[in-house]
Amino acid sequence: MASSANSNQVPKLYRGVIEDVINEVRELFLDEGVDEQVLLELKTLWESKLQQSKAVEGFHTEEQAALQAAQQQQQAHQAQQVPQQAQTQQVILPPPQQQAPQQQVIVQDPKILQHMSATGMSAAATAATLALPTGVTPYQQLITNQGQILQVVRAPNGTQYIIQQSQQPIVLQQQMQPGGVQAPVIQQVLAPLQGGLSQQTGVIIQPQQIVLASGNKVQGNTQVVQAAAMVQQPGQAAMAAAAGGVAQVQQAQAAAPQAPPQPQAQQQTQPQPQAQQQPPMMLQVDGAGDTSSEDDEDEEEYDEDEEEEKDKDGGEDGQVEEEPLNSEDDVSEDEDQELFDTENVVVCQYDKIHRSKTKWKFHLKDGIMNLNGRDFVFSKATGDAEW
Amino acid sequence: MAYQLYRNTTLGNSLQESLDELIQTQQITPQLALQVLLQFDKAINAALASRVRNRVNFRVSEAEPTRSGPGLRAALTRSPLCPQGSLNTYRFCDNVWTFVLNDVEFREVTELVKVDKVKIVACDGKSECEQNLAGPGRFWPC
Repeated sequence: MASSANSNQVPKLYRGVIEDVINEVRELFLDEGVDEQVLLELKTLWESKLQQSKAVEGFHTEEQAALQAAQQQQQAHQAQQVPQQAQTQQVILPPPQQQAPQQQVIVQDPKILQHMSATGMSAAATAATLALPTGVTPYQQLITNQGQILQVVRAPNGTQYIIQQSQQPIVLQQQMQPGGVQAPVIQQVLAPLQGGLSQQTGVIIQPQQIVLASGNKVQGNTQVVQAAAMVQQPGQAAMAAAAGGVAQVQQAQAAAPQAPPQPQAQQQTQPQPQAQQQPPMMLQVDGAGDTSSEDDEDEEEYDEDEEEEKDKDGGEDGQVEEEPLNSEDDVSEDEDQELFDTENVVVCQYDKIHRSKTKWKFHLKDGIMNLNGRDFVFSKATGDAEW
Repeated sequence: MAYQLYRNTTLGNSLQESLDELIQTQQITPQLALQVLLQFDKAINAALASRVRNRVNFRVSEAEPTRSGPGLRAALTRSPLCPQGSLNTYRFCDNVWTFVLNDVEFREVTELVKVDKVKIVACDGKSECEQNLAGPGRFWPC
């Protein structure tokens, strides 16, 4: 082991620690009456965060290895190839597959490959397993009567996306789900737009009617799969409106205009016969600086609101601009630093710290270092410095 | 009882974040999360002591690299006494050393890593009975 590189050591060490901790904690979980599933979720979350941090190279989990193996099999079956680029990180539901034992989510980051187990997942686990970029949090979790879990996630820019997880083997197919009529589930489905504006429509989605149409709208490098509710069940007083849900999470906003996803969503709504449409339930998604106006009662009011919000935005922008001005006063060493903003930290124990006048000598042990964004470990470290 | 020192590492932070998420969704109790963290402390301390067997050296970078204006100015103003000094600050509090070094290169057998600034936090290696050295601090003992 002494000859192996530190970077090879770290993933193994971390995996070993994770396994140890999880195994030791299993009893605690059971004592508390917490399900084993939660323990697995913890492990999954933990591992996914480690992968996301990129501090550890080549950090593979067992699930990821299995996922990769399965992925290779399925990619051979896939009719449509999902273009992959490392720049955008996306959650993409694969096109229709007929032999999908598990729902798999492909993330367009070469370092991150996640997979979701077929069993129910919590919102937190969903976020982790979907490898959502930081800042995107599961906003709502909607469960249809079919047992499908629709995850509404909220991106930091305010847009909301709907991600569908299915517990059934065959989901991504354009077919009507068999089965009896089930009570409609009122849900809020949100169609994301590129521009950051969220369009909200309150819909009632018939459980059998949640069908994913593999719309092949490529926005740059993305494959958009839309979930649309199909024709409503007869005999239902309630209506079904199309759910223009797009299971897509993008870190980099594609340059594609807002128009493409919208007409596509609407195209799916129009062909579907709709008796009525429920009054949309507005979901408050905006935070500060949201430019969508809510009241249109008076034009004057509208203008004022708009102006106020514009001023707010302008104020924020102005504030951002001011900060760099002030920072010119500082002697900045940031330019000399490496790519990462991470402060390089070494967490360890000391055997001996010695000083002679201004000469310091350090004898350290059992340390974990994070240097330039990468993790290292050591059993002993010695150093010299002058103060 | 093991040091809680390693909770502020990539491994430790990701564990804490995961636990926080589970607490938020009320799948586990905060008490259970604390137990998990204590278990993590034990595990990481044990792993570092037993599974890791490599040495690292660190020292000041050989020569001050010639830099453009701001860098040079920074080098001079950083330590008026020692133009080449790399120890920026030191602190010893509650038996915990905290150093900030500049322009250090870490040498291992296989690789060399250079950093402009590094913070070293070191707990006493001889006393293993220290725990929770600082009350409010979640990460740092001091």
